[in-house]
Amino acid sequence: MPPGTKIFDFGWVAGHLGQVGERIVQHLQLTVIPLALGIVIAMVLAVIALRRPITYGPVTLVTGILYTIPSLAAFAVLRPIFGLSLLTAIIPLTTYTLLILFRNFTAGFNAVPAEILEAAEGMGYTRRQRLFRVELPLAVPLIIAGIRLASVTTIGLATVAAVLGDAFGGLGQLITEGIQTFFPTKYLLGAILSVVLAFGADFLFVRFERLVTPWARARAGAR
Amino acid sequence: MADQHRQAAVVEFDHVTKRYDAPTGKDKGKPTPGAVNDLSMHVPAGKICVLVGPSGCGKTTSLKMVNRLIEPTSGRILIDGVDAGTRELTDLRRSIGYVIQQIGLFPHQTIGENVATVPRLLGWPKERLKERSEELLAIVGLDPAKYRDRFPSQLSGGERQRVGVARALAADPPIMLMDEPFGAVDPIVRDRLQNEFLRLQETIAKTILFVTHDIDEAIKMGDLVAVFQTGGILAQFGSPLDILAAPASEFVARFVGQDRGLKRLSLLRVSDVPLQPAVTARPGDSAEDARRRALDDPQRYLLVIDETNRPLGWVGHGDIPADGTITPSMANPVSPTVNKRTTLKDALSMMLDADVQTGIVVDRNGAVQGLLTVAAVAAKMREGEHAPAFDALGGAETAEAEGGTDGETPMDAGAADQAAIEQGV
Repeated sequence: MPPGTKIFDFGWVAGHLGQVGERIVQHLQLTVIPLALGIVIAMVLAVIALRRPITYGPVTLVTGILYTIPSLAAFAVLRPIFGLSLLTAIIPLTTYTLLILFRNFTAGFNAVPAEILEAAEGMGYTRRQRLFRVELPLAVPLIIAGIRLASVTTIGLATVAAVLGDAFGGLGQLITEGIQTFFPTKYLLGAILSVVLAFGADFLFVRFERLVTPWARARAGAR
Repeated sequence: MADQHRQAAVVEFDHVTKRYDAPTGKDKGKPTPGAVNDLSMHVPAGKICVLVGPSGCGKTTSLKMVNRLIEPTSGRILIDGVDAGTRELTDLRRSIGYVIQQIGLFPHQTIGENVATVPRLLGWPKERLKERSEELLAIVGLDPAKYRDRFPSQLSGGERQRVGVARALAADPPIMLMDEPFGAVDPIVRDRLQNEFLRLQETIAKTILFVTHDIDEAIKMGDLVAVFQTGGILAQFGSPLDILAAPASEFVARFVGQDRGLKRLSLLRVSDVPLQPAVTARPGDSAEDARRRALDDPQRYLLVIDETNRPLGWVGHGDIPADGTITPSMANPVSPTVNKRTTLKDALSMMLDADVQTGIVVDRNGAVQGLLTVAAVAAKMREGEHAPAFDALGGAETAEAEGGTDGETPMDAGAADQAAIEQGV
């Protein structure tokens, strides 16, 4: 760090709000798209595992292996194929969500008490009705727990997408630039904003869960 | 509701068998739990048929084959003559009420939504769903305004069980399947739920298949009782009285217990026994005439009654003066009064308490209708035991019975609970 550099230069931040805002939007893009794709894929896999329990083991194994691939290596492999496109970042970030989401979704389905399923079946729910009206709503707390975890992980991981450069780099780009130019304000800001985003996302999902599961808070004491 | 009202249906098991893979290892050779062996049984419309037996005897399997949660290996179950196996599955299930011990209310739905489950599946309009669930909550004794918007977790076990019954009744099904419906609540609540359900059945008159492992519950709830024994064999099928009076096998005799005589007494009522005429006289009647009539009667007692035929008390023939008139002060008011609805068990208990052989049977206004004697009760009990297929009162069991530890206490406790409830409500 050159002598005389401030640890954190609020003046610089005030002068570059537009640039910072752009990085935040990029970062949200790098988080929301993989998360949404991951939720869809993991849900399909979880429903398949619910119907055909034999698939649970293989799916866990494959998503587990995907999870262990170092992100930098994944970017390196994908960059020659997709270039500096959003896809190069989104593919690995999506695969990283799958293990967490799949495990939580299946745990959510498995946590639905057997007698509730028996009652539903005995009263004449079709399988589809049972899935959408009974199993999914009752799995919501564990489903959202998985999404919270995956979103926080993805927000952190997405900083690595800085390798994609200016067009899609997100807060990681801010951090990388700060390190390369010995400008602490930039990398501190990138890190702080990443943490704030993670907390913000977690808070939103907690609120959302409370909103959609009013029954989970209704207890005998709260008459 | 009236548009699709089907009161009740006939259920017939026609040589129904369910086999599972035979046990292996150390249990090899033992009967398979839950199997059912060539079950044929005719349940008339509007009756409660209780399936009772030890665990693993196939009673629950038999129940679940009706709504095809379990498919029979062979045989047919006919509902109003139609083979259930040929019906569309969800359609069949929506036409059968289903109550299980753990109730299985949907925790994410309000009580109102839970009750309206089957009508919703059947596509009833929204307004009617709401109407129907409120109507049903009221029927099972839960104030709709208070309970409609609550969640199942906010209810007690007994309240939840009522909601379970309301939910099963929602689409007015002709058949109800109830699998140990009152098994998870404490004895006092269970007794109350049983009584309420019997009262409800008087108006709804559904065909009900009811599974329990508790012979007392079977006797209390059943119009018909099917006793199952291990291996899925129907050991006996008949009215509770028939089964108590003449157990078909040693297994049934043991299963219904040594106190089956007492159990019969609690099923029979004073109206089931021929009443003896009483020799009566009113104060002011001729003592000489009354004395002569008392002497002619085998009881040799005179019952003094008032102007409205209410009993005042007994006078022994020796205490009736040779002349003059009858006076109220002669009467000794020792005998208990019972009515025709009193169970023989309660009547006998009162007579034992008063240390007398005779109870006075009165009508609603308290007027004497006749006398109930211990001898007549004993004769009634003998008469029920027509040609018993098995004599359960063998030497060993009689000796045990003399120990007198079993049977009596639970029944008395039950009666006490009942009294407590009636005062409490």
